Amino acid sequence: MRKRVKTKIISASLIAAMTMTMLTGCRFGFASDPDDPNEEEKTIPIDTSVDTFEYDGTLKGTNITLLNSKAEIQVALEAMGAAYEEKSGVHVEVMPVTDGDSPYTKVVSLYNSGNPPTISILDTTDVIALAEEKAADLTGEPWIAEAEGYVTEINGKVYSFPLCIEGRGIIYNQKAIEDTLGESFDPDSITTQDEFTELLDRLVDAGMEKPISVAKEDWSLGAHQLQYIYETYEGTSEGAQEVIEDIKDGKVDLKSYSRMSEFLDMFDILKKYNVAKGDPLGADYDEMAIDLADGKTAFWLNGNWAWPNLSEAGAESEDAYGFLPYFLNNDKEDFANSQIQASPSKQVMLDGQYASEQEQKAAKEFLNWIVFSEIGQQMMVKTCNIIPPFQNNPYEPLDPLSRNIYERVHADGAFNASAIVPNDHWAVLGASMQKYLAGRSDRKELMSDIQKYWDEQE
Amino acid sequence: MRNKNGGKDFCMFALPGMFCFFAVVIIPFIYGVYLTLTDWNGVAKVKNFVGFENFGGVMKDSQFWTSLLLTFKYVIFVVIIVNVLAFAIAYLLTRGMKGQNFFRAGFFTPNLIGGIVLGYIWQFVFSRVFVSIGESTGWKLFEVSWLSDPTNAFVALVVVSVWQLSGYMILIYVAGFMGLSEDVMEAASIDGASGWVKLKSIIMPLMMSSVTICLFLTLSRAFMVYDVNLSLTAGAPYGTTEMAAMHVYEKAFTSRQFGVGQAEALILFIIVAVISGVQVYMTKKQEVEA
Repeated sequence: MRKRVKTKIISASLIAAMTMTMLTGCRFGFASDPDDPNEEEKTIPIDTSVDTFEYDGTLKGTNITLLNSKAEIQVALEAMGAAYEEKSGVHVEVMPVTDGDSPYTKVVSLYNSGNPPTISILDTTDVIALAEEKAADLTGEPWIAEAEGYVTEINGKVYSFPLCIEGRGIIYNQKAIEDTLGESFDPDSITTQDEFTELLDRLVDAGMEKPISVAKEDWSLGAHQLQYIYETYEGTSEGAQEVIEDIKDGKVDLKSYSRMSEFLDMFDILKKYNVAKGDPLGADYDEMAIDLADGKTAFWLNGNWAWPNLSEAGAESEDAYGFLPYFLNNDKEDFANSQIQASPSKQVMLDGQYASEQEQKAAKEFLNWIVFSEIGQQMMVKTCNIIPPFQNNPYEPLDPLSRNIYERVHADGAFNASAIVPNDHWAVLGASMQKYLAGRSDRKELMSDIQKYWDEQE
Repeated sequence: MRNKNGGKDFCMFALPGMFCFFAVVIIPFIYGVYLTLTDWNGVAKVKNFVGFENFGGVMKDSQFWTSLLLTFKYVIFVVIIVNVLAFAIAYLLTRGMKGQNFFRAGFFTPNLIGGIVLGYIWQFVFSRVFVSIGESTGWKLFEVSWLSDPTNAFVALVVVSVWQLSGYMILIYVAGFMGLSEDVMEAASIDGASGWVKLKSIIMPLMMSSVTICLFLTLSRAFMVYDVNLSLTAGAPYGTTEMAAMHVYEKAFTSRQFGVGQAEALILFIIVAVISGVQVYMTKKQEVEA
């Protein structure tokens, strides 16, 4: 009997120990998850002494809910909600979209259960799919005047509030380049594909074997890379829409469409100098951030959302990081070689179906508070660490990637184009891009995949 | 004999369970079947009846049939390996060897870890641990991540599923072995039956009830695999390891074709139901009593 008890205790503690090591092993491997909501953030103090915003006293005691699909600002949004509640008396409940759920799926299931959030942070495609059926009309709201060029209109009406600007390009680590080459590096000196290749060759000669990291993730390849072929058509969202329609209708043949071959030329360069060239589909996202921060590589195709990863990998906000454009050719006059893509990426939609008039009013006030109150303006930039698309916000972003985009947006160094593509574009064509990246398909097959994808769309 | 208090017992004991069963299984299932006949996109207020149009969409979705074929391949490997392995280990663990309780617990542990967590752990093992072993030893087998090659990624999926499922099946087989009557075994020995003959003519027939359960569980779980698939490979590389259940989800929620996705789910359900039904019927027929 005693022996059995002993065995049981031993086996139970062994199980516990094994499970523990496995769990810690897991933590070890994925320690740099940027979306970890438990992560302790350094908070930057907000000056609340000045507040000229006019609050509507009748809204006191109203409760509104906010569905947040931007996991990295969950804590910051809660702080923002609390600050707003203190001033206005309106309670803002921030609900996160849990990992693994898509924001769209979440919001649709909440609508189907008759309990949708008052406001939800969604992607532009989601807003377009839902707006006319569910959203409240926001045309005529005061903040629209401050967000010129960043507002999405659907049949002439505004249904969503642009939350932030996000941009992407080839992230460089200036120190890594300078240390390798032993001379100072001016990012503006690179203006064509050839100059970029020459720089890469010099880095290789100086000892940096493979200077570029290319993420294998389908969202990176299918959305962030491939969408250049639409967005650089003329550098506007309308242009992107136009070329997509033309591809669908067969008016544009991908085989002779210059942006397609130019994009692949650039992609081939990235492929050639890829740090994971031996096994491109085995590349690890977290490791890329570490490689760039450590100076093992000098470039990484990504956007300003990669900052939390870089910062976790050891990059400091005083370090010199920034973006190079996705060079498409050797024409110095081509905007694609001097500008990076930056456009509003997350949209806030207000429910017009279930929310009471009082709740809608409170939600509208909250959105205006973000844009016009001194506290809201500060919190957008300092607490949430996002680039606001509103001209009246005087605060500059704090991390080098966002700062670079901010400067580029204000100095004509960025083009505002985002292609509105079907929701499975990144997944389906991301897979085709993976195949091409791994060298298991050629240009012809990739282009026929893209054409086939568009032919299947209604 | 009919109970005097009529429906009272039924209401007290069966009704709550039946209500739950209907509410969460039967009604959603019927509603799901109805949805395959409409063009509902998950959002719209109106649902238009479109007949069998969605099933036509399933026929045209070549990726679905590819993933279904892959699922069949996966099921065959997993079911055979899991059951042979579990049966053999259970046999060893009921022969009174030293520390067998410890081993039973050890083999069962993987089953306690959820599929998602398990997938992430193994993803780390395949793409980091194995690769660094390969780097330091120069073994070709581990040179690149298994998950970046279609064939190896499939093997990885099978390995992880076997690792996860075997423990549970070992438990059931162990229970089956423990239930074998000593008398019968002794009688067989006295009659001069050798180890192999005993296994074939005595143990196997008496173990058929465990085999029925284990085959049914492995079949249905392997067909419906989603969590390990999602966290280990997520269909990578380039969609070559996307199993049927995952494809259904992607179709409905990523491609937002609810009707087609639902129709595919229904087809998958029918296939699984028929196959496991036939399996249970066939193995039940083999069951004997001592």
